[in-house]
Amino acid sequence: MIKLLFFGRLGDFAEGVSGSIEAAEGLTPAVVREGLAADYPSLFAELSQPQVLISLNQMIVGWDQPIFDGAELAFLPPVTGG
Amino acid sequence: MNSTIRIQADDFDLAAEYELLRQLDSAVGAVVTFTGLVRDLEKNASINSLTLQHYPSMTESLLQEIVDQAQQLWHLIGVTVIHRVGELLPSDQIVFVGVASQHRADAFEAAQFVMDYLKTKATFWKKVDQNGEQHWVESKDSDQTAKERWHKDD
Repeated sequence: MIKLLFFGRLGDFAEGVSGSIEAAEGLTPAVVREGLAADYPSLFAELSQPQVLISLNQMIVGWDQPIFDGAELAFLPPVTGG
Repeated sequence: MNSTIRIQADDFDLAAEYELLRQLDSAVGAVVTFTGLVRDLEKNASINSLTLQHYPSMTESLLQEIVDQAQQLWHLIGVTVIHRVGELLPSDQIVFVGVASQHRADAFEAAQFVMDYLKTKATFWKKVDQNGEQHWVESKDSDQTAKERWHKDD
């Protein structure tokens, strides 16, 4: 299983999205995003904003990073702490 | 170098944190502290409260990376970073950065560096409540500009 996390405003758009997906060959963050397009078009649009970063197991990665079973994939909008 | 990083819902005591930095080492000749507070205005409208979300397993390691970078750039004896999460009210303390060094320039610059990087890199997100309506705070270009003046590669 792959754990999915959506932070900040992305969490509002991700309401109803399952918190985990099955691992599969060739899975990347881009593929996960594509898989959300049909059922969650507004979330897909938000995730396609250039400022959105992704992390895999708490490390910032690119959209083509392979995802392996047991990973934690998080979608991060621009941060606003401090 | 001594570094302390805490993410907590509870408030912090500025004097106590200063005292810990002051007493780290007798070589400490300068302590610079910064405290960030909840403003009562967001986009020129008053706020009722602010809620801070973060990514628990990632935020602390990102803050540690920022502190480690600062340590490589300046001569530091101690750095403390405290960031609060959860619901906060106007005038509440949000963030504390304290830096102890031998000389003031290191402490001043490192404190500013840590804050500039924290604002643009650390995984915190603010949501404000304005008259019962909640919305996420947008990131500011000015924060990005502030970070870029350090001319560091990410």
